[in-house]
Amino acid sequence: MPKNILGREIPEFIEGYGKTLPFMGEHARKPEGNRAGPKLRAAFSDRTSKVVPDLKAAIAASGLKSGMTVSFHHHLRNGDFVVNAVIDACAEMGIRDLTLFPTALFGVHKKLIEHIKSGVIRRIMGSVNGPIGQMVSEGGMDVPVVLRSHGGRPRAVVSGDVKIDVAFVAAPTADAYGNLCGSQGKSACGSLGYAFTDAMYADCVVAVTDNLVPFPAAPVSIPQIYADIVAVMESIGDPAGIVSGTTRITRDPLRLLISKYASRLIEASPYFKEGISFQTGAGGISLAVTAFMKEAMKKRGVRGSFGLGGITGYFVDLLKEGYVEKLMDVQSFDLEAVKSIAENPNHIEISADWYANPWNAGTAVNMLDVVILGATEMDRDFNVNVNTEADGALLHGIGGHQDTAAGAKLTIISQPLLRGRIPCVVDQVYSVTTPGEVVDALVTEYGVTINPRRKDLIDACQAAGNVPLVSMDELVARAHEMCGPTDPVETENRIIGVIEWRDGTVIDVVKQLKKK
Amino acid sequence: MKTAQAGTVESMDCLVTVSETDPGTGIALTLAGASVARFSKAMDKAVRETLGQLEIKDLTITVQDNGALDLVLKARVEAAVTRLKGGDEA
Repeated sequence: MPKNILGREIPEFIEGYGKTLPFMGEHARKPEGNRAGPKLRAAFSDRTSKVVPDLKAAIAASGLKSGMTVSFHHHLRNGDFVVNAVIDACAEMGIRDLTLFPTALFGVHKKLIEHIKSGVIRRIMGSVNGPIGQMVSEGGMDVPVVLRSHGGRPRAVVSGDVKIDVAFVAAPTADAYGNLCGSQGKSACGSLGYAFTDAMYADCVVAVTDNLVPFPAAPVSIPQIYADIVAVMESIGDPAGIVSGTTRITRDPLRLLISKYASRLIEASPYFKEGISFQTGAGGISLAVTAFMKEAMKKRGVRGSFGLGGITGYFVDLLKEGYVEKLMDVQSFDLEAVKSIAENPNHIEISADWYANPWNAGTAVNMLDVVILGATEMDRDFNVNVNTEADGALLHGIGGHQDTAAGAKLTIISQPLLRGRIPCVVDQVYSVTTPGEVVDALVTEYGVTINPRRKDLIDACQAAGNVPLVSMDELVARAHEMCGPTDPVETENRIIGVIEWRDGTVIDVVKQLKKK
Repeated sequence: MKTAQAGTVESMDCLVTVSETDPGTGIALTLAGASVARFSKAMDKAVRETLGQLEIKDLTITVQDNGALDLVLKARVEAAVTRLKGGDEA
């Protein structure tokens, strides 16, 4: 069977996916041709409201039929009511065989399992996790899921790999002519970044809101020129699930130690200077790294240029206090971030295309100096797995992992060496999400492990004198000694998941788990 | 039937439950929890080795694991068995 550049066996044709292109390296695939586009449509002054009575009327008016592709965005996170409501309505209207194309799904969407079983949903292109992930991993869907990164997804849309028939945009505020805003209303979620591309490329765009305001709504995230239909629901989401409370820095001493090492690595690197940019996400370790970096920036009088990605209140404070000049926000995680994006012109709402698509004239991740990421496991070649758990089941989406790792000048994975008995370093990862060629360092409680191709970083850490270095061989040996030998994951031959690199080539496939 | 327990279900620990069985019935071991998917062989070996060292031939034993390393697992098995035999009231 043909292998990709990482030695992973990728069939030339995968049932339910089609012909494959094997991953051949970070920049190996070059785009050809022109951007795809949505259907042309016209609207005239005889119709000044796009509001329909309810979701079913919106679905009927959209022309959605069995077999089509529907897209959703995940800014309402675990508070989302829209995905379930739309698919419920489709089921009641007799629509079947849908391809679901979400930017991510959450636990709240486990209700979709009944629609998968009954044939309303035939295919998912997007992350599957929790109960849906388990179901797919055990062979519960006839068609493999396709996992794409936050940049790979808009790439697939703008290149025409994926054609969206109807995009449903959850809009915390909208007017009757389809100007949509994410930062106002009782279900405010801040940035609507992931929805921009869908709104621009779908043949029909249905905005779903619970806060209809007089025309024109302002500020505007997505303008009226994209929205065809506005549907009103009583509530589009549960605020408690949409935004988290204040995200706290970890108090676990082990994780604080890891954060301290990561921060020292950044300080030792050539990127710790005036204008540094970084993305650290919302995890406990990441926030602690940011806190340690802030101390170092204060001490050495360094100011940053921008913070990127999913934005938390912690980053908002950095902006207010002048440690960064701007925030580029594709997803606002908490109330502070939602408030800030509404008020502060230096807090910029960016689309997924702008954030991470490798096939445009320049994406935000390319300007990134440092990114801190997690992993479920990493191997001797620094390949990282974030998609499958230790038991081989699909559990997580890719998020911006591939994109930020590829874009940033310093890509750091920070992770305790063990999660329970499960080691984070192994001889070979079960599935590859992000290739070692774009990963620079792993930070564990045992110290900093630098990819040997980054000799410059090793030298910089040695010169700094306060960064404990540990080789990958030593780390793997230590993990092996503590955890003991692992049993192999037993699988069937059938492929249930396809993991794409951000350019659309296949970096790995995931197989169905054997019944126990 | 006499039963004893040792351990917790905290992260990186395990709860070991042992009960007496009739002579000649052998070791009936049930493993459950976080590590079983990838470490059942190693866990099985650790439990049986410990029971061997304690010269236990007949026992029903259940391990509810939450990521315990072998040294923890072995210690919990030893403690549970010791309690079963009345050697430790703790």
